[in-house]
Amino acid sequence: MRPFLALLLLAALGGALLARHPPRADLAEFLPPGNSPASTFLFRELRSGAATTLLLAAIEGAPRAEMARLSRETAASLRTSGRFSFVGDGTLRLGEAEEAFLFRHRYLLSGETRPDAFTAEALRPRLEALLDGLRGAAAPLLARFGFADPTGAFPRLAARWLGENRLESSDGAWFTTDGSRVLLLARSAGGGLDAEAQREAMAAFREGFAAASPPPGARLLLSGPGVFAAEAAASIRADVQLASGLGASLLALFLFWRFRSAALLLLVAVPLLAGALAGYALTLLVFGTVHAVALGFGMTMLGVTVDYPILLLTLRRPGEAMEDAARRLWPTLRLAAGAAAAGLIAMLGSGLPGLAQLGSFAAAGVVTAALTTRWLLPRLAPPGFAAEPRALPASVLRPLRALQGRRTLALGAMGLAVLALLASGGPRLQRDMAALSPVPAAQQSLDAELRAVLGAPDVRALFVLGPAASEEEALRGAEALRQAAAPLLARGLLAGLDLPSDWLPSLAAQRERQASLPAPEELAEALRAASAGLPFRPTAFRRFEAAVAESRALDPITPEAFAREAPVLSARLSPLLARQEGAHWAIAPASGVSDPLALEAAAAGLGLPGVAFLDTKLEMERLLLAYGTATLGWAAAGGALVLLILGWGLGGLRPALRAAGPIGGALLLALATLALAGEALNLFHLAALLLLAGLAIDYALFLARAEMDPRTLEAVLTCVLSTLLTFGLLLVCETPVLRGIGLTVSAGVASAFLLALALLPRRAA
Amino acid sequence: MRRRLLLAALAAPGAARAETPLEAQMRRMAAVRSRRSRFEEERALPELDVPIPYSGTLTWQAPDRLEKHTVSPIEERLVVAGPRLTWERPDRGQRQDFALASQPEMAALVEAVRATLAGDLATLGRHYDIRFDPEADGSWSLRLIPSSLRLRGMVQRLTLRGTGTEVLEVETQEGGGISRMRIFPLP
Repeated sequence: MRPFLALLLLAALGGALLARHPPRADLAEFLPPGNSPASTFLFRELRSGAATTLLLAAIEGAPRAEMARLSRETAASLRTSGRFSFVGDGTLRLGEAEEAFLFRHRYLLSGETRPDAFTAEALRPRLEALLDGLRGAAAPLLARFGFADPTGAFPRLAARWLGENRLESSDGAWFTTDGSRVLLLARSAGGGLDAEAQREAMAAFREGFAAASPPPGARLLLSGPGVFAAEAAASIRADVQLASGLGASLLALFLFWRFRSAALLLLVAVPLLAGALAGYALTLLVFGTVHAVALGFGMTMLGVTVDYPILLLTLRRPGEAMEDAARRLWPTLRLAAGAAAAGLIAMLGSGLPGLAQLGSFAAAGVVTAALTTRWLLPRLAPPGFAAEPRALPASVLRPLRALQGRRTLALGAMGLAVLALLASGGPRLQRDMAALSPVPAAQQSLDAELRAVLGAPDVRALFVLGPAASEEEALRGAEALRQAAAPLLARGLLAGLDLPSDWLPSLAAQRERQASLPAPEELAEALRAASAGLPFRPTAFRRFEAAVAESRALDPITPEAFAREAPVLSARLSPLLARQEGAHWAIAPASGVSDPLALEAAAAGLGLPGVAFLDTKLEMERLLLAYGTATLGWAAAGGALVLLILGWGLGGLRPALRAAGPIGGALLLALATLALAGEALNLFHLAALLLLAGLAIDYALFLARAEMDPRTLEAVLTCVLSTLLTFGLLLVCETPVLRGIGLTVSAGVASAFLLALALLPRRAA
Repeated sequence: MRRRLLLAALAAPGAARAETPLEAQMRRMAAVRSRRSRFEEERALPELDVPIPYSGTLTWQAPDRLEKHTVSPIEERLVVAGPRLTWERPDRGQRQDFALASQPEMAALVEAVRATLAGDLATLGRHYDIRFDPEADGSWSLRLIPSSLRLRGMVQRLTLRGTGTEVLEVETQEGGGISRMRIFPLP
């Protein structure tokens, strides 16, 4: 009854803690911050900024006309849903009001507004071109704007705003060149930070598609950062549920089969639950939040703490009081838990938020579980409680017993592992963050494909400019960058640069343009001279003259006014201007970057303050490398600490090294397994190796205990099987990180146990 | 007699409603499968001193191919076939090919002539308010007012005049100007 009450109490405490501070499933929080203000800004922006509000969609699997209809109707319902600030499809056109706004402000927005653009010499060819156009079939369309805007500033602006993608627009839909898909583009109105808004936007998309009653076979494919985040979160959540739920049930089944005691199950669960509670509380205290990956994987790691009560309950001698057994076993238990916790130090020191959370969760959990086993379990166990384990089948035990003391075999296995590592060149280092993403590769390639055809900026290589005190300052900086980048473009270091100031010039630039517009008499004179000999009436360009005069006095467009008056156009601009913690930033995606390193050096040489070129992939690789190096350093420190603890506990360096032998061997074998499985090594593998070292210590210490009796082998084997059950389960996870850890630990634990056994002194006959 | 008429009406429900003069005209137009004509056009704009003259040929092939080949003042070829429009300016080596649907104003202007020649009243009605005035001598006029406000900003009215199944004139009122195309059927 008492263990049951203890469990109830722990569960109630845990439930309350989880309800108040639920774990976060957002992958972004698991990943590192940047290492410079610009990269920190960028990573945060990519995870939660305007870039994440983009939704890319494709419709396929229906006849052409049917796909076009689905596209039009889906787009129409998206527009009426009010959830989107922008919906782009084949029917996309500027509204009357936006068109009028753009037309009215054409000379402020157009980069062609320079003093020399309004001279008679500059106007003459424009007027000739207009006349020529009037001779052609498009004359009625030309006449509408041509006389009011003979320099053609407006059509060029409009074409740039609307015509960016490489799609064939037909029947009101954007078809890919092979005609197999129609594409749509949308920006959700909610901020990118708002995961709920992202989910609702996706739901609105699916509903709009369903409402258009798609024929059988027609499919809607969605992509974009929001979709990625949602899928990653769902995938992680599913993995965590699978790993913790199924893992726990399997473990319980196994233990029940082994001990045939429900009371034992309850007792075993007490240190585990206490450890989890302590781990969660500590992580919450230190980091403010607990990530679902840290919780899920941390729980799995704490699965090893069931070793402690199992060892206590099975190594208790017949007739020995529980309290006495706990006291007798405590030095070994203490040593094992201390060494395992020390091994986790490298995770804390890695600097990666996710790993650090995991480390603190697991370390606190392991220590708490050991303490609970020593001090609480003896008090909880019912008086006279005895759990007699079912004898393990002799067919399992006999070969294991035979293995004991076979040092040559152990050394041979280690030698083979070294050889395999040498032959395969060691495990590759994983430097691509995308490979860690739980989003399936197919989804990632769909995204790349859609971005390419839709002309949506792929935010891989970009210039970042900031922090600036105001949007105006950011825009001015962008204009300076436009000038400074010209030689870089000329050198072919990049093919194009998408600057916010190209869409909305700074107030200063707009005023400069206004100042360069000619006075009415001046313009009239220039027009007279330019149209000499052409059949234009003197009044032909009255609207043009009025517009230039008006433009000189217009209020320059502020970003706020732009967003208010031209919402469709702003959707193009807004991802390029960002605001974080009161500071303003400009983002300028670069296209056609073949050599990011050279561009980075050239950008640094521009001498523009606050301007940095970042290649997100490169930046992420550098970060991972830095974290990897830090983790390795901490791993070495952790290893030394483990040796120290062992030396202190076993009374000397030599026994410590002897105990560490199987651990080193297990690490080698695990690495060889990873190399043979073709797994690229990432930080999480390193962390798993540390965890593995901590586990291997348990087995080595308990198997090597001087008073080794026949029950020890069975007890440790039970522990090994429990671990294999829980970590083997990770192999079926979708999240690559979890899968990698599962493989590392399963392979390592099995070899640690076998090696520890083989390295023992040979049994007396 | 009356009884018989009633029976006939019951037997052929399609004929229950009398055909309007416009429907009759469209039915007759649709029956002409191909045409070739010469055209002369003059476009007067308030901004220009003198009207611009154009001339060339028009070719129609049912169900949906219309070609306007201008030879003066510049050579230009405009071909509408099905949902696509091809525009060519041989003297500059320019050529554009796009879907009519992507240029709704252009599409509406094309259909004013094409749908009329095809006898496609439904398409014509989608783009325009139609007034049809047949005369006793077999001549007629078809007045089209664009339904789209946007198009009406550019073109306020088109008037097609003809005799029998021949279209002889297209008058377009655009902005402050007027363009008039006269059509001379070729054998």
